[in-house]
Amino acid sequence: MSSEDLILGQAQELRRGTVVLACLALLEEPQYGYALLETLNGAGVAVDGNTLYPLLRRLEKQGLLTSEWNTDDPRPRKFYRVSTEGARVRAGLVREWQDIVASIARVTKEN
Amino acid sequence: MGATALTERYVQEVVRRIPADQRGEVAAELRAVIADTVEARGPDDPEAAERAVLAEMGDPVRLAADYSDRQPVLIGPDLYPAYVRLLAALLCTLLPVATVALAGLDVLDGEDIGSVIGTAVGTAVTVAAQLIAWVTVVFALVERSRGGGRIRRAAEWTPDDLPEPPRPDRGATASYLWAGWNALLIGLIVWQHTARPYRAAGADGGIDRLEVLHPGLWSGWIWPMLAGLAGVVVLELVRVAARGWTLRTVGWYAAAEALFTLPFIWVAHRQMLFNPDFLTDFNGGWTTPDAFYTLLAAGAFAVSATAVANRFRAARARQAGR
Repeated sequence: MSSEDLILGQAQELRRGTVVLACLALLEEPQYGYALLETLNGAGVAVDGNTLYPLLRRLEKQGLLTSEWNTDDPRPRKFYRVSTEGARVRAGLVREWQDIVASIARVTKEN
Repeated sequence: MGATALTERYVQEVVRRIPADQRGEVAAELRAVIADTVEARGPDDPEAAERAVLAEMGDPVRLAADYSDRQPVLIGPDLYPAYVRLLAALLCTLLPVATVALAGLDVLDGEDIGSVIGTAVGTAVTVAAQLIAWVTVVFALVERSRGGGRIRRAAEWTPDDLPEPPRPDRGATASYLWAGWNALLIGLIVWQHTARPYRAAGADGGIDRLEVLHPGLWSGWIWPMLAGLAGVVVLELVRVAARGWTLRTVGWYAAAEALFTLPFIWVAHRQMLFNPDFLTDFNGGWTTPDAFYTLLAAGAFAVSATAVANRFRAARARQAGR
């Protein structure tokens, strides 16, 4: 395995948890699945549909997102947005994120 | 735009593996996101775009696992409907028949109402517990044997791997009937041994209660025969759960049939099938001709051989149809 492959694999591990945070941040405004995927990828958060769509459903089950079917369009779509609980969790995660960035910055500077 | 046939097959493959109460909603959402992605991806060639999008979504088994909470279950959502139907059918047929039969026997014996009710309740509880336990064990084993190891990586999966829409399982009724008949035989064999239902005029003018089958069988040949019958019942249930025969299950089926039929033929040939006391009383002055036993042995062999051959053909046809 080349070091590039290793970096790719490890980077995926690093990013895994960040998708949740990105979703909680972006879904302040209601969005449907595919549009959110595009927004995330456009913002540089790489994620596949087959990861994102089940994830949205899990977050909804945990009460962090609420959803609503919009049937005005010819194609009914499920719109997600952050719940009050989701907003609280997001604030906590943002603090965690800043702590991690600061810690890693300290650790890596020492080397 | 409605979902195309290919998308619909994909969606069904995903949702049939997730809990029933979530299927409608997940299916609707999947249809929407797939259609959205196809539309954005390939306005010129929607068909190719659809295939590409489905390939990217990957193996339905894997996606379904992501949608479910992966709670370990004894019987997955895939098999659950067949499991419930079979249990309901058995509890609605075998259970009342067995209960009424044994309670009726007590009535014939002139037992008082209290012991008749006791027998009825006891039978119902025992038979129900046995039915539920065995059916659950068989379905759980089938569920385990199908394992999670079949999930392929997203890159290896293409829409060509989608199975054909499931055909109605036409052999299921025959399987239920054959399993029911063999279970009934087990029940009758055990019953005639424990209840001694035949009443013969005793030497002292009283009534002797006799078993119909030779009592000596219980220290020998009856055990492989009962095991064979039980094996046939289990394998027919496996056939229902798997929606068809495979060469492997037919192999086991043939073994179970042989386990019953070969001892049966031997016992019939030696004329050790029936209780001699029962025959004497039943026949009166008449003697059972040897041809009767030959016929019995030949009949058992013919039924078994036909059953195995039919199942073997079904397995071959199913394999060729893949």
